[in-house]
Parts: sequence; structure tokens; C-alpha cells
Amino acid sequence: MFQLNRFGPARIIFASSFFISISIIVVIFFFLITNSLPIFYLEGWDFLTGTHWYVGEVYGALPMIYVTVLVTLLALCFAFPLGLGTAIIASEFLPERYRLIVKMVMELLAGIPGVVYGLLGIVLLTTTVQRVFNLIDGNCILTAGLLLGVMILPTIMTVSEDALRTVPKEYREQALALGLNHSEVVLTAVLPAAAKGILGAVLLSTSRAMGETISVMLVIGSLDRIPSPFFNIFTTAQTITSKLGREASEALGVGYHWNALIGLALVLFIMSMGMAFIGDIIVVKEKRV
Amino acid sequence: MIRRAKGVIFFSICAIATLIAVSLLFVIVGVIFSKGISAFSVTFLTEESKNFGQTGGIFFQILGTIILITSAGILSLPIALGTAVYQTEYLWPSFRRAASIVLYALNGVPTIIFGLFGYAVFGLLLNVGVSWVSGTFILAIMILPTLTVSIKEAIDSIPVKYRESGLSLGFSKWKLIRVIIIPHSFFGIVTGLLLGLARAAGETAAIMFTATVFSGVNVPRSFLEPITTLQTHILVLAQEALNPQARTNAWGAALALVMIVFFISIVSMFIRSRIRLEAER
Repeated sequence: MFQLNRFGPARIIFASSFFISISIIVVIFFFLITNSLPIFYLEGWDFLTGTHWYVGEVYGALPMIYVTVLVTLLALCFAFPLGLGTAIIASEFLPERYRLIVKMVMELLAGIPGVVYGLLGIVLLTTTVQRVFNLIDGNCILTAGLLLGVMILPTIMTVSEDALRTVPKEYREQALALGLNHSEVVLTAVLPAAAKGILGAVLLSTSRAMGETISVMLVIGSLDRIPSPFFNIFTTAQTITSKLGREASEALGVGYHWNALIGLALVLFIMSMGMAFIGDIIVVKEKRV
Repeated sequence: MIRRAKGVIFFSICAIATLIAVSLLFVIVGVIFSKGISAFSVTFLTEESKNFGQTGGIFFQILGTIILITSAGILSLPIALGTAVYQTEYLWPSFRRAASIVLYALNGVPTIIFGLFGYAVFGLLLNVGVSWVSGTFILAIMILPTLTVSIKEAIDSIPVKYRESGLSLGFSKWKLIRVIIIPHSFFGIVTGLLLGLARAAGETAAIMFTATVFSGVNVPRSFLEPITTLQTHILVLAQEALNPQARTNAWGAALALVMIVFFISIVSMFIRSRIRLEAER
């Protein structure tokens, strides 16, 4: 009799939905592995280190991987100082009411769809970059980095603000009691205590930036080559996501071209999830001490 | 003196960063609104698009976005609710954290990968092609972690005394869930659903080669027909560099999409602030 409740219909329904949710990620991972295996058989490690990608001949993913990292780094360099500065002002210097307003506005802005940023990028940013840096083509790595930076700015700001708010009041009070002024309190007591949470914010937004497809695809051009010299950010290029967005529907789901694209997706999956994973663990730990 | 100067410098650096960030974001919102408003008119919002989106309105695109996110929400909600309840009420405590980590990981998957996965499953394996049903499933999977985490947080914040009074009345687990857990996490469920819908409404990459087509579609008459959405509309029109009328329509569609997303987010913020007030009471 007591076993009835243990395996009752309610439990079975809840359990099955739970297992559906958990298994999705496993299924996706399995899909990525099986669909990309042929390209690893064909190319071996050259798939990851090769620098040429000609459909039907050779598939080297290094340019896309490198440019993905480069664009993401650019976006971070641009968004991190602005986001952190805003978070510090909002959390440490603004009165509670204004803080909530700033936060709400940032959360709203974080929801602006990528395709709208893409439109903004095409119409305004590419032409501006082209004019300012006197380029032939405004579609370049720099444009994509700037656009991504603007996109992740609200995320960096809100998550680092959360991290700053979780620092206990006592830290600030003790630092004040030692005779430090307001800025010193923030620099010596609050920031070090919130460092882990801020790192989490950075990792989360990095993961988001890496996976962003549409806006990058619209402003980066499409050249599957490592920029030369390698730090040249004024040249058109191709990230993993822009490559996938452009070519996935051409590959039709079979053959080495498709396998190679899924191989790229697998690389992206591992990079982006690794970041999100570490970031989440750090942030969650900070929140639920 | 030096200490004070350092403090002032630190503050001014942060203030300048804030100023730049805030004005940047204001410019962005300002541009979207000013450019979009010039395309808005009654006919733009109520007419179907003509001539490959270059003339006419965006009525069916708006409708398509709403239909698609609604169906994804309806599909995702029961699974998210079941997952959250199972995780908090049935699962062994030592597994709960691991389960959360798996869900968080799903949240970190780049959306284009959902698109590729959907293409392989619905386009190749099930052979339903570009259709409403594929978009529904893909978006439902995409927003599942958002919903689940929000519901789980709501359940976790139910005061222990409510559970205890339920148990002391001799409720079975199922009755406890039905009478106490779900009603008391209602606002959390709604907030999670709205957050998920906002996320789905802004998504393009996951559905662009599985669910949506650009033109020639009004309202899907069956689950197997393709659908047209604001996102795809903007994506295609944005690439029409030479046609100013297409650009104007793209801005109009962008404003409509941003307004949908903002509306959903503002409602969810409003509900969330009500939860906070209730929790403080």
C-alpha cells in the first residue's frame, strides 16, 4: 500500500517531464558528436588547425575559431569597463530608487533582439566605422566587436551589479569605520569581495557573445581567412556563428560540408558552454552562500 | 589630499563610464523609436506585406511572432512545471544541484545550435520541413531553462510553515503539490513564462531555417505549414541595402518587435515586484 504513492501517476508525470528536460542537452550533444564524426575522420586534427575552407575540398576551422575569440575579446574590452563602471555607480553611489530604475532599464535593454541590433549595425555602425577609420568596407571585425559589446553591456552591468549588492553591508561599514572615504571603501572592501561574482558576470556575457549569430552575421562580412597580420581588426572575416548562419541551409544536412559545419557547432558548443558553466557555478555559489 | 584626489578620480572614471553607457543605450533606443515611428501607420500595422515586404504592412508578421511564442510557451510550461516540482519535491537532495547544473548548461547553448538540431530532427529525420511545429518545439526547448529556474526559485521561496501545516493535515505529496506548492508559486510561474516568451520573441537564429519563411505566407492553417515572423522579416529586409522603402519597413518591423518584447518584460517586472511586496508582508 505504501508503495502506491511512491510510484503513483503524479510522480510518474513529474518524473517524465524532469527526464525530458535533463535529456535534451544530452541528445543535443550526441547529435553534435555523431553528425561531426565524419569530418574528424576525414581531416583529423587538421580540421581544428587548418586555415583553408573550400567546400568539397578541404575544411579548416581555425580562421572561424580565431575570429570568434577575437570578436568576443573586442566586445569584452569595450563592454567590461563601461558595464563595471555603471554597476559601481548604480550599486554604491546612487540612492535606492534610482538604482532600481537604472537596473530595470538595463534589464529591458538586455531584451532587445539581436536582429534589431543587426539592423542598427548595418545601417549606422558599418557606415560610421567605414568613415572614421577610412576603410573600403565597413563590414569588419571591429564593427562586429563594437556591436556585440553594446549588446552584452546590459548583461555585464546587471550581473556585476548583483555581485556588488551581495557584498554584506558590514564590509562597507567596517571600511568606513577605518576612516576610508567612499571611493576607497569601494576599491578596497567591496570590489575584492565581489570579484568572483564579477568574473562570473564576465564569463556569462562571454558565453552569450560567442553564441550570438544574427547581428554578427550581418556586419562581419564573410571571408574565411585569418586576418593578416593576425591582429588586423579592420578586415572582413567570419565567426563560427556567422558561418553556420550563412551556410547551414546550403549544406542540406548531408555530406562533408554539413559534417564540417556541425563540427564547427561542436567547437562553439564546447567553448560557449564551458564559459557559461563556470560562470554559473561561480555566480550561483555567490548567491546561495 | 592625495587620498581624496584618488577618490575623486575613481569616482569620475566610473561616472564617465556610466555616462557613456547610458547615453549609448539611449541613442540606440532613440534611433529604433524615431526610425520606426516614421514607418508606423494604421495601414502598416493592419495590412499584409506586399512585393516581398518592400511595400504593405506587417500584420501577419506580428501575428506570426505572437502565435509562435504562444505555442512555444504552451508546450514548454507543463514540462518546466513538472521539472521544477520533481526537482524540489521528489528528487534526492544530493542530485538537486547536479540537475540545476544540467539545466543551466542548457541555458548556455548558443541558439544557432538549437536551429541546427531542429533542422536535423524536423527537417531530415521527421521530414516535416520548414513548419510551425518545428519552430514551436525548438523555441519551447530554448526557453525551458528560463521557465524552470524561475518556477524553482518561486517554489524554494515558499515559507516552510506552509509545507509544515500541509503535512500536519496529513496531505499526501500530490495533494501538497496541488494545494500548496503550485498555488503559492503562481506568480513565479507567470514571471518565468513571460521571461521565456520575451526571449522567444527576440530569437531569430534558432528558427530561421526551421520554421519561418519570408514571404507568401499568412497564417499557418496547419502545424505543418511554415510561419512568418517579425524577426525573419527584419533579417531579410535589413540586407536590402539599395531599397530605402525596404529599410523603412525594416525599421517599422523592428520597432514593433521591440515593443512586443518590452511589453512582455515590463509586465513580468511588475509581477515580480508584486511578489517581492508579498514576500515582505
